[in-house]
Amino acid sequence: MIVSVWRYSHLLFAIISSIFLLIASITGVILAVEPISNKIEPYSISGADALSLAETLENLNAKYEEILAVSRDRNGFISVTAILDGKNEAFYVDPFTGEKLGALLQKKPLFQFATNLHRSLFLKSTGRFLIGLASFLLILITISGIVLIAKRQGGYRQFFAPVVRENFSQYNHVVYARFSLIPLLVLAITGVYLSLLRFDVIPDTQVALQVDFDSIQEEPFKEYTEFDLFKTTPLSELRELEYPFSEFVEDYYIIRLKNKEVYLNQVTGDVLAEEKYPTVQVMSSWATVLHTGEGSILWSIVLGLGSLAIPFLTVTGFIVYFKRPKTKIKNTYNKNEGTYVVLVGTEGGTTLQFAQEFHKQLLSIGKKSHLALMNQYTHFKKMEHLIVITATYGQGEAPASAEKFVQLVKKYPQKQAFDFSVVGFGSTAYPNFCQFAYETHEVLEASNNSTALQEVFTVNDQSFEAFNNWCATWSKKAGLNILLEKPKLATNSLPPSTFEVINKAEIPEDDTFLLSLKNLNGSKPISGDLLSVIPEEGARERLYSIGKLNAETLLISIRRHEQGLCSNYLHQLGQNEKLSATVVGNRNFHFPKNAKKTIFIATGTGIGPFLGMIKENTRKKEIHLYWGARTTNSFNLYKDYIDKALQDGKLTNFKTAYSRNQPEKIYVQHLIQRDKELFLEVLKKKGCIMICGSIAMQKEVLQELQQLCNEHLGKDLSHYQNRKQIKMDCY
Amino acid sequence: MKNSIIKTVSTLGLASAFFVLSSFVKETEVSYKCMIQMTNYTGEKAYVVVSLINPDGTYEKTLYVQGDDKEWFPDLKNWWEFSDGTKENVDAISGATIGNGERNIISLGFNAAHIDAGYKVRFESAVENQEYYAVDAEIPLNSATIKEKVDGKGYIRYIRMVPNR
Repeated sequence: MIVSVWRYSHLLFAIISSIFLLIASITGVILAVEPISNKIEPYSISGADALSLAETLENLNAKYEEILAVSRDRNGFISVTAILDGKNEAFYVDPFTGEKLGALLQKKPLFQFATNLHRSLFLKSTGRFLIGLASFLLILITISGIVLIAKRQGGYRQFFAPVVRENFSQYNHVVYARFSLIPLLVLAITGVYLSLLRFDVIPDTQVALQVDFDSIQEEPFKEYTEFDLFKTTPLSELRELEYPFSEFVEDYYIIRLKNKEVYLNQVTGDVLAEEKYPTVQVMSSWATVLHTGEGSILWSIVLGLGSLAIPFLTVTGFIVYFKRPKTKIKNTYNKNEGTYVVLVGTEGGTTLQFAQEFHKQLLSIGKKSHLALMNQYTHFKKMEHLIVITATYGQGEAPASAEKFVQLVKKYPQKQAFDFSVVGFGSTAYPNFCQFAYETHEVLEASNNSTALQEVFTVNDQSFEAFNNWCATWSKKAGLNILLEKPKLATNSLPPSTFEVINKAEIPEDDTFLLSLKNLNGSKPISGDLLSVIPEEGARERLYSIGKLNAETLLISIRRHEQGLCSNYLHQLGQNEKLSATVVGNRNFHFPKNAKKTIFIATGTGIGPFLGMIKENTRKKEIHLYWGARTTNSFNLYKDYIDKALQDGKLTNFKTAYSRNQPEKIYVQHLIQRDKELFLEVLKKKGCIMICGSIAMQKEVLQELQQLCNEHLGKDLSHYQNRKQIKMDCY
Repeated sequence: MKNSIIKTVSTLGLASAFFVLSSFVKETEVSYKCMIQMTNYTGEKAYVVVSLINPDGTYEKTLYVQGDDKEWFPDLKNWWEFSDGTKENVDAISGATIGNGERNIISLGFNAAHIDAGYKVRFESAVENQEYYAVDAEIPLNSATIKEKVDGKGYIRYIRMVPNR
C-alpha cells in the first residue's frame, strides 16, 4: 500500500542506490581526508599571493636555468617544472627566493584506491555510470527527505524545531538528516554534474585560442619584467604559466589565470590572444572544488561528515522502515455492502493496525464491515455506522491517506442517515495533539444525515488500553459486544517469572488492594516497569505498574472490577501462593536520575509505582506527591508507606485531593493551579513531572499544565514533553 | 728488484682498470627538450609513453611515461609487454597525465652514441575505453631533422624537439 508518494519514493530510491551510495560515501569519507592532509603541508609561503608575476618570474629565473612552467594549486602552493641537469623535475618553491621546498605531493595509494572505487567501482565506464546514477538518486532522496521532514515538522518554518522522539532510529534519522542535507545535496548535484561532464552530456568546452603568426612582431624588445600583464597580475590570480618552448618569436608564453587564458609574445610582451573561460569551464571548476573540498580544510570536514551521514541514514532509515507495521487492507464486503464503515487516516501504517483489529472483530461477530482509507470516502450505500480512526501529522495536518478527506465529505453527501464516531491517534508530545481528528469530527458533523455518536476520543502514544476503552464505550452505544485483541507489537518482555504472594492489604469498600510479591527468580524490574499478568490461558493480558520496595519485593496496587477476570484472579490469591507473570520494560516511566525536583501525580491505584520510587530515593531528592482519591479512607491502604517516607525524608511533601469528602468535588488537577509556583519551577529547572492513573485524569492534568506553560513560560507543553520532563503511564 | 716488478704491475693494472672504467663513464648524454601537444579529442586524459627504439625496430629503453596511475599501463600493450618484461623502474620518469588540447614539455636524455645511428623515439598512446595507438608519433634520432615538427596520428597533434640549453 502506498501510504505516501514522498515516503514511498524516498524508500524506493534508497533501496535502489543504497549499495552504491554506501561505497561512494565510505570512500568519500576517506577522500575527504586527502585535501586536508594536502592543505596542511608546509608549502604555503605567507605574502606570496601578493607578489606580481614579474617579481615571481624574476626570482625563479635567477635560481634556475631552464624553467618550463610555474603553477599555483588550489592550496596556494607554488610549484615549478624545470629541467635540472637534463632531467625534468617538478617541485614546490618559495616564490621569494626560488628555493626548493619539496617534491610535488604524490597521491597516496590509499587515496588512489579510494578515488578509483569512488568514481568507477573498478568497473570503468559501467561503474562511472552506476555511480552517476546513484548520485542522481541521492538528489531525489535528499529532496524527498526535505519534503518528509517539513511535513513531519509541520511546515518549512518549523524545519529546525525540536524533533519528537518516537524511537532511536526515527529520531536520529531526522536529526542527522537535517544537518547533513545541505552537504549531501551539494555532493549529489556536483557528483551528477561531474558524471555528465565525463560522459560528454555537458560539453567540456575548451578555450581554443588562435594566434595570427603573420602579425607576430619581433620588436620593440622589452624585458619580461616590464611586460604589463606580468607587472599587474598578482600571483594569487595564477593557475599556470608555461614558458615559451624555444627562443623563436613564434613560441610564446601561455598564461592561465583564474578567469582567462592569455598568450603573450615573448619578445615584445604583446597579447597575442586572450579569452575568458567559458561558463561551463568555470562551473566545472566550482563543481570540482565543491565536490572534493580541495583547498579548504573546513569544507572538506563538512563534506566528510556529510558522507559519513549516508551509512548512518541508510541504516536508521531501513530500521525505521522494517519496524513499521506492514498491513494490507482486505475486505469481505465492498463499499456498497458494508453497514459498518471503518475509515483510517495513517501516515506510516501504525494506526491502520488498530483499525484493522477493530474491523476484524466487527466481522467476527457477523457485522458487515468495510475498511478503507479516508481518501477513499465516497457514497457508502448501506452505511449506518461510520468509524473514523485517524492519526494527525505534523502541525495538525491530515496524514497522507486522508489529505482529500475534507473535500470528499463535502463532495459525497450520504443519502441515508448514519452515525459516526472519531478516534484520534497521536502523541501529546506534539503541540497540536489529534488536531486532525477534531477537524474530521467537525466536517462530519456538518455533513448530511450524520449524527455524532460520541465526542472525539483521543489515544496517546498508541495506547492499546485507551483504544480498548474507546471500543468498550462505543460498542455499548452501538449495542454490540466487541473484545479487541492486542496487536502484536514488538515488546521487550522477558520470559515469565514466578512470584510469591507475601502480603495482601485491602480496602473492600474502595475495591482496591495492594499485593506484595516476592521475586523468586530471574527478572530485575525497576519501579515503573509493568507486570503482565494473564489470568488463564487465552485470556488477555493485564498490565500493572510495579513499585519496587527492595531487591526482592514488588508492590502492585489493583482496583478490583466486578467482572474483571484478572483483578479477581489476583484478589483470590492467598498468602504464599505462586503467580506466574512477565516483567515488561517501561523505559519511559523510570524515576529520572538527573532531575533535582520531581512531582508525582497519581489517582487511586496509580500511586503504586511511586511508592517504589519513593522507597528507593535514598539520596533524598525533593519529591512532591499529589494524590487523588474518593475519601480519606482510601488512604489507609498506603498510609504506612507514606508516613514512613515522610519521616525518613525520602518524600518532601504529600498533598491530597479527596473528591467525596466535601460537597464540591476536588481533583488533583485543581491542586496544580494552587501550587503553580512549584510546577513552574520544576518545568523551568529541568525537573520532572510523572503522571500515573486514569486517562481522564491525565487529560485534565495536561490541560492545566498546558495552561501554565502558555501563561507563564511562553512555550508549548510539548517542548517539555520532548525533553522528557513529563512522563506518563495512564490507562 | 721484486719491488719494481710489483710497482710496474700495479701501475699497469691501475692504468688498465682506469682505461676500462673510463670507457663506461665516457658515454656522453645529450638532452633534448620535447613538447607533446595533444589534439582536442574527447574523453579521459591520455596515457603516453616515450620509448627509445633501436635500429632493429625493437624497444630499447623507456624514456618517459606520461601517466600517474599504473592501473592503466597495460593499456599501452606493446610497450607494456617490453617494460613489464624488463621490470624497468618507471617511477622516476613518470609525470602527470594531460588532457585534450593540453601540451606537456619534458626533457629527454639520450646517449650521444645513439644519435645518427638509426635509433628512433616512439610515442604511443591510449585513452580509457578508446583506441590505442601503437605508434602515435615517431621521430628518428637524427641531428639534422630532429628539430622538425612531427605530426601525430592519434591523440597527439604534434611533437617538437630542440636541444637543451
